[in-house]
Amino acid sequence: MAAENSKQFWKRSAKLPGSIQPVYGAQHPPLDPRLTKNFIKERSKVNAVSLKNKKASSFHEFARNTSDAWDIGDDEEEDFSSPSFQTLNSKVALATAAQVLENHSKLRVKPERSQSTTSDVPASYKVTKSSSDAQLSRNSSDSCLRNPLHKQQSLPLRPIIPLVARISDQNASGAPPMTVREKTRLEKFRQLLSSHNTDLDELRKCSWPGVPREVRPVTWRLLSGYLPANTERRKLTLQRKREEYFGFIEQYYDSRNEEHHQDTYRQIHIDIPRTNPLIPLFQQPLVQEIFERILFIWAIRHPASGYVQGINDLVTPFFVVFLSEYVEEDVENFDVTNLSQDMLRSIEADSFWCMSKLLDGIQDNYTFAQPGIQKKVKALEELVSRIDEQVHNHFRRYEVEYLQFAFRWMNNLLMRELPLRCTIRLWDTYQSEPEGFSHFHLYVCAAFLIKWRKEILDEEDFQVQWFCDGGQQCSGGGLLENADPPIYECSIDDPERLLTLEEL
Amino acid sequence: LHNVFKSDFLFKFLVIGNAGTGKSCLLHQFIEKKFKDDSNHTIGVEFGSKIINVGGKYVKLQIWDTAGQERFRSVTRSYYRGAAGALLVYDITSRETYNALTNWLTDARMLASQNIVIILCGNKKDLDADREVTFLEASRFAQENELMFLETSALTGENVEEAFVQCARKILNKIESGELDPERMGSGIQYGDAALRQLRSPRRTQAPNAQECGC
Repeated sequence: MAAENSKQFWKRSAKLPGSIQPVYGAQHPPLDPRLTKNFIKERSKVNAVSLKNKKASSFHEFARNTSDAWDIGDDEEEDFSSPSFQTLNSKVALATAAQVLENHSKLRVKPERSQSTTSDVPASYKVTKSSSDAQLSRNSSDSCLRNPLHKQQSLPLRPIIPLVARISDQNASGAPPMTVREKTRLEKFRQLLSSHNTDLDELRKCSWPGVPREVRPVTWRLLSGYLPANTERRKLTLQRKREEYFGFIEQYYDSRNEEHHQDTYRQIHIDIPRTNPLIPLFQQPLVQEIFERILFIWAIRHPASGYVQGINDLVTPFFVVFLSEYVEEDVENFDVTNLSQDMLRSIEADSFWCMSKLLDGIQDNYTFAQPGIQKKVKALEELVSRIDEQVHNHFRRYEVEYLQFAFRWMNNLLMRELPLRCTIRLWDTYQSEPEGFSHFHLYVCAAFLIKWRKEILDEEDFQVQWFCDGGQQCSGGGLLENADPPIYECSIDDPERLLTLEEL
Repeated sequence: LHNVFKSDFLFKFLVIGNAGTGKSCLLHQFIEKKFKDDSNHTIGVEFGSKIINVGGKYVKLQIWDTAGQERFRSVTRSYYRGAAGALLVYDITSRETYNALTNWLTDARMLASQNIVIILCGNKKDLDADREVTFLEASRFAQENELMFLETSALTGENVEEAFVQCARKILNKIESGELDPERMGSGIQYGDAALRQLRSPRRTQAPNAQECGC
C-alpha cells in the first residue's frame, strides 16, 4: 500500500504545470556550483530525451517533476542557475539576513489584527503577549551571524535560537507587510476552508509550499484527517473527539502508577523536562502535565511500540500550532495560565489526536528493533549513493555508517537538527504529501545531508575511524561530533533553502 | 590548545546504563568541565572524544554515549563491538537503575571485547539525601563482578575525570603487562600518531591528507 501510494504520487506529477526548474534540495543544494553545473547538464539532457521513457521512480525524476511545485502562484521567477546565483556567497547572505532582521525589529509595530480567521476560535479569545520581542530579535541575529562552519567544542551545544518565531510568522507580527501575493494566498486558504466541503486535494496543493500562520491550526487538523472536510460536521466532530480523549484520561490515567505501566510512565516523566529544555513554554508545570497525559495515553493504547524516546518531541509542533490559535505573539514565552481550562483542553485533545494520526504512519519506527528506521536508513544510503557518489564514497572511505548519524534523523524526524519553527514549516509540506512523514522525509534527509556536503568532504576525522587526527581533536573533528553545531546553527531560512520552500 | 599533542593510543569507550542516570552529563562534564543542565535525552548513540595524559602517555578516548531506553538496545548494541573500556552508570537515588546493572554487564561482556575494562559509576553522588543504594552494597557488587567502582557527580564534577582516567590507566597497565594486545582485532585499542608510526594501519596510507594537518 505504501509503494502503491508513492507510485501514484510519482504519476500524479504529470499533472503539475511548468517546465523543468532548478530546485534547491537533495539534487541541487544551494550555493554549490558543482551541483549547479550538473544541473545545467542534466537539464539539457532532459530536453533531449523524451520524458516518457524515464523510470518514474528515480530520484532525479522525482526532483524534476516536483520542482515546479515551488512555483505555484509565484510571480517573480528566479533563475537559480544564473551566474548571479552562483556568486552569491555566505557573507552576502548573512549581511542581508542581518539587514532584514534589523528592519524587522524596527518595524515591529503591529499592523491591524488580521481579519476574522476561518479557525474555530473567535478572535476575541486571542491573548497577546510580546514581552520578549527584543530578546527574540537579538537572538535571531546572533544565531544568524554565527559562522555556521566554525569548529565547535566536541560535544554539541545547542545555541539559543528563537524556536517558534518568526520567519514563518512575519505576516502576523508586523514587518514586512503582507504582499499582494500573500494576501491572495491567504484568501485562497480561507475560501477553501470555509467552503461547504473543503477540497482536500486542493488544500494539500496549497499547503505544500507553506501554510499561512493564520489558518495553520485548522489546516493541520484537516490535513491530518482529524477534522472532516464537511464544515457542518466539524464542530460536532471536534466536540466528540475531545470528549473521547478526556474519557481515556478518566479511564486510564490513574493506571500510570500501577505495576504494568510504571516503566512507561517513569520514562515519560523523566523525559518531559528534557523536551525542548531551552524553550520556557515547555518548562511550565501545566504544559508538562499535558504532555505526560498525551504521551501516556498514546503509549498504553499502542502497546506494540509503547513510548519511545523521541515521540515526546513529536507532540511539540502540534501543541505550539494549536496554542497559536489563542496567542498572537511569542508562543515560546507564553504563560499558559492565561488560558481558560476549555482552551487548554482543546489544545491537549487536538494535539493528542493529530499526533496519533502522524504516528499511525510511522509506527514501525518505534516497534521492536525499530525496523522502520533501519529500512529508511538503508534507503537513505542507497539514495545518496545514487545522487552524490562523492559523499557516499567519502563515508565509505572513512568508515562512517549511515546509521550513526541518520538514526536520530529518522527517530526524531530531524527535530533535533532543526529549530521548532522550521519543523512546523516542514510539517506543512509533510502533511500535504501522501506518506510525508515516512517516505518524503527520506528525501528531505538526503537534501539535508547534501546541504553539508562541502563540510563532509572536507572532513577526515569522523571519530569513527581509528586514525588519530591531525590537530583537530580538541576543536571537534568529525561529522558526528561536529554535524551538530552547523546543523543546529543553520540560519533562519535554511530549511527553506534546503527545500526551496518559499514562505508565503 | 592540545594540538601539539599526538596521542600514543586510542581507546574506544562506551557509556552504558539505564535512562536518566546521567550518562550524557558525565560525558559532558568530562569533556567540557561543565554541568549540562539543559541536556536532551540521547537518541541512539552520540559521540565525544578527549585526549588525556595517563602516566606520561597521551591517550585519546573515543567515547560512545548510548541511549538508555530499552527500545534503542538493538541499535546501541551494535556499537559495543571492539570497546576497550566502559563506564557502567547507575543512579544512587534509584534502586531500579542499580538492579538493571547485571543485564548491562552481561551485554557488555558478551558484545564488547572479552577483556573490556569496566568501571561502575554510582552517579548523582550530590543527591545523598535521596540515596537508595549504599556505597557498601555497590562496592560489594563491583568486587564480585571484577569492576572498578566510584561514586560520581556530573553536577559537581566529583570523580568524573577520575572515572575515565582510572579506566584508561587500567587498560594501559594491561597493555604493559602483556595481558592486552593492542594489535589483536577488536581490542578497542589502536596506536596513535605519536607511537610507532611503522605500526600504523595500512588504511592510513589511503588517507595521506590526514598526515598533513598542521601540527
